[in-house]
Amino acid sequence: MPEGATSSAFTPKGLRTNQGADETVRQLLRSLLERGDVEAVLALGRTGTGEEGVAYSLFADPDAFAPDGDARPLLPFMPANGGGLLSRLTLGGALVRPVAAVIRPCELRAFIELMKLNQGSLDNVFLISFTCGGVYPLETAVDGGLDEGMRGYWQGMEQGELDAAVRPTCRACQSFIPERADITVALFGEEHLDRQCTLYLNTERGAAFAQGLEGTAVTGGAEHAAIERSRGERDAFREELFAGVDGGMRGLIQTFGRCIGCHACKTVCPICYCQLCHFDSPDCEREPGYYEAELRRKGGLRVPPDTVFFQLGRMSHIALSCVGCGMCTDVCPADIPVSTIFSKVAASAQATFDYKPGRDLEEEIPLRTFREEEFAQVAT
Amino acid sequence: MNAKGAVLSADEGMDRAVIEWLKEALKREIFDAVLIPVETPAEDAFAYLLIQNPAILDRASPLPPVMPVQGGKAIGRLTMRGHLNDRVAAVVRPCEARAAIELTKLKQAHLTNLVLITLDCPGVLPLSDYLEDPAAGAARFAEAAAQGDRSPMRPTCQICHRFSLAQAPGADLHIGILRNGDGAAVIVPGSAEGERILEKMEMTEGDEGTRLVAQMLERWSAQVEEVVDAQLERRRQAHAEVQAAVAGADRLLDTFSSCINCHNCQRVCPVCYCRQCYFESTALKLPPDNYLARAASKGALRFAPDTLLFHLGRASHMALSCVSCGACEDACPMDIPVGQVFSLLADRAQDALGYVAGRSLEDPLPLVAYEMEELHDVEQPYIEIYHEQEVQDA
Repeated sequence: MPEGATSSAFTPKGLRTNQGADETVRQLLRSLLERGDVEAVLALGRTGTGEEGVAYSLFADPDAFAPDGDARPLLPFMPANGGGLLSRLTLGGALVRPVAAVIRPCELRAFIELMKLNQGSLDNVFLISFTCGGVYPLETAVDGGLDEGMRGYWQGMEQGELDAAVRPTCRACQSFIPERADITVALFGEEHLDRQCTLYLNTERGAAFAQGLEGTAVTGGAEHAAIERSRGERDAFREELFAGVDGGMRGLIQTFGRCIGCHACKTVCPICYCQLCHFDSPDCEREPGYYEAELRRKGGLRVPPDTVFFQLGRMSHIALSCVGCGMCTDVCPADIPVSTIFSKVAASAQATFDYKPGRDLEEEIPLRTFREEEFAQVAT
Repeated sequence: MNAKGAVLSADEGMDRAVIEWLKEALKREIFDAVLIPVETPAEDAFAYLLIQNPAILDRASPLPPVMPVQGGKAIGRLTMRGHLNDRVAAVVRPCEARAAIELTKLKQAHLTNLVLITLDCPGVLPLSDYLEDPAAGAARFAEAAAQGDRSPMRPTCQICHRFSLAQAPGADLHIGILRNGDGAAVIVPGSAEGERILEKMEMTEGDEGTRLVAQMLERWSAQVEEVVDAQLERRRQAHAEVQAAVAGADRLLDTFSSCINCHNCQRVCPVCYCRQCYFESTALKLPPDNYLARAASKGALRFAPDTLLFHLGRASHMALSCVSCGACEDACPMDIPVGQVFSLLADRAQDALGYVAGRSLEDPLPLVAYEMEELHDVEQPYIEIYHEQEVQDA
């Protein structure tokens, strides 16, 4: 069994500290680094000398998690999907010593999907996640706008209310409680986040790593009434969001008509797993004669071609593993609601196979598991 | 004596005049097809279409309010593997034609059988501004273009001085639409091919016409010159401001501090020429020890790493071929002024080597054209400084 998976002998525990959530998480990470329990921590932090830049960093210096340090582990922002980054970190080999990562549930699910796709290693990755209230769109951070929203964000978190300015995909998210984290930090719908914080230690390693933290034992789990209520609200928003997608060939062509073919959605997608995208490969660099023949056939030909085809190809590749993180929408220079469209398709594809990406490492991606009778279906 | 050029009467508007001219050229089989921007069915974007059917050509927009895809890139896509056999007229903006010329020198486009037709360019709106309300954006663009107001345009368009033929002479034909005050444009050959096309279109006129054409050409040239001067001054000022904002390691880091490593600037850049970007290659997919050692030695390692290095690497690759189109800035999800920074770097680099990106197919790319004495320059110090020492050491 891979490390980090819940062992049957271990009973998950809850721990309530007498410090705010940000302080608690900082203290936990700082002590992990100080004690040498982990070699580094992947977490969000400020970059540059100004207040604009936010990026994931591998922090090795414990001081990054001091109150005035550069790290901002709970910032409601996703400059890159952390699951993709963990894959990048471990693509060249498994970690020999533990590294902690503070990532959101959808980032964690992306990482699990990537593990199934053999793109990295879970070994020695110590996962800290939290009940999630969503992230602001990337454009919010331009000109320091992120700080303005912050107070309202944390008030909403305590009340179990999503800020309407977070990514639409976050407002429609049904999987905002992390699965498979070593430690779950309870944030959404929790009272007094400025002076107390509840952690759920889901694994033996999680419990061992949290040893230095003082607090009282709590029972139960991260689920509670506020989360259930929010789930209902998010479901309702999701239906509304999906209803707004123009279906059919006409809708498809109209929606992706303004695609500029930059493939940024593919670049930032944590799941898009091909090492060389077909649409970026020499296969799609055609002889002029190909275009001339197409032109004779159609009278007019869009250049570069394959705009909608690219979207359909990408969709067929990732729909089953799409975690709905929303990176694609945020980076689209043509403001196409890529994530909404992909999430809608993903929802129906995933429902067909009763598959939930990132839920369980042992659960195979449906297109990789064949049953004998399925071969017979194809044969006849 | 023939005036160099002809008059394109534009009683029904400039777009119509250009489209009718192109249709006539298709009819006369001067061209087999036209590559030109066309509004998409949802009326919220424009895309390059290669068109043979004149009915589709009716929907074309020779000067759309935005540049979703850089025309040089579209030409590159069509002709990357070799030249067309059909004769195709590409109606593009001057910076797009210049990019196509750079790509041709980089052997990533082939201009044989392709006729570059450019227009006086008023600039384009930033894509995100236009998309907020496409109809209002189109109206705002039309008004600003008519008044020569570049303030709503892309920052690189605001300071562009290569918007016409004089400063971007690589086109085969150029349509001068800066206001002549008489509802007409001039169409001017930029190459012998362009002259032949005008002849085939029977656009060389009698004495009376020639005098009129000469007058219009003169008025147009004077006006272009005036705008070029004003734009050059704007460019100088804007570049001084950009320089003050980015000079020095800290300021440079800050400028790119919000970069999310999506590399979209590279993706949409018409002249970023590597088939596989080093920063996306397996060369940088390193074992975790490498990242962790760097994190340990610095205290923290931004991840994914090499953000600023990517921009510096990109700049060193394409500064000499950068046409300052601003496509990179349009595509940046973080609104980093990447187009402005690169246009500054490009001007400095190109000035230093007396090169203008996309001016002419005849100007060799400075970094691929070595002269004998330059090889000597590199070789000599090595022999003088190090070789002797090496011999002694041996």
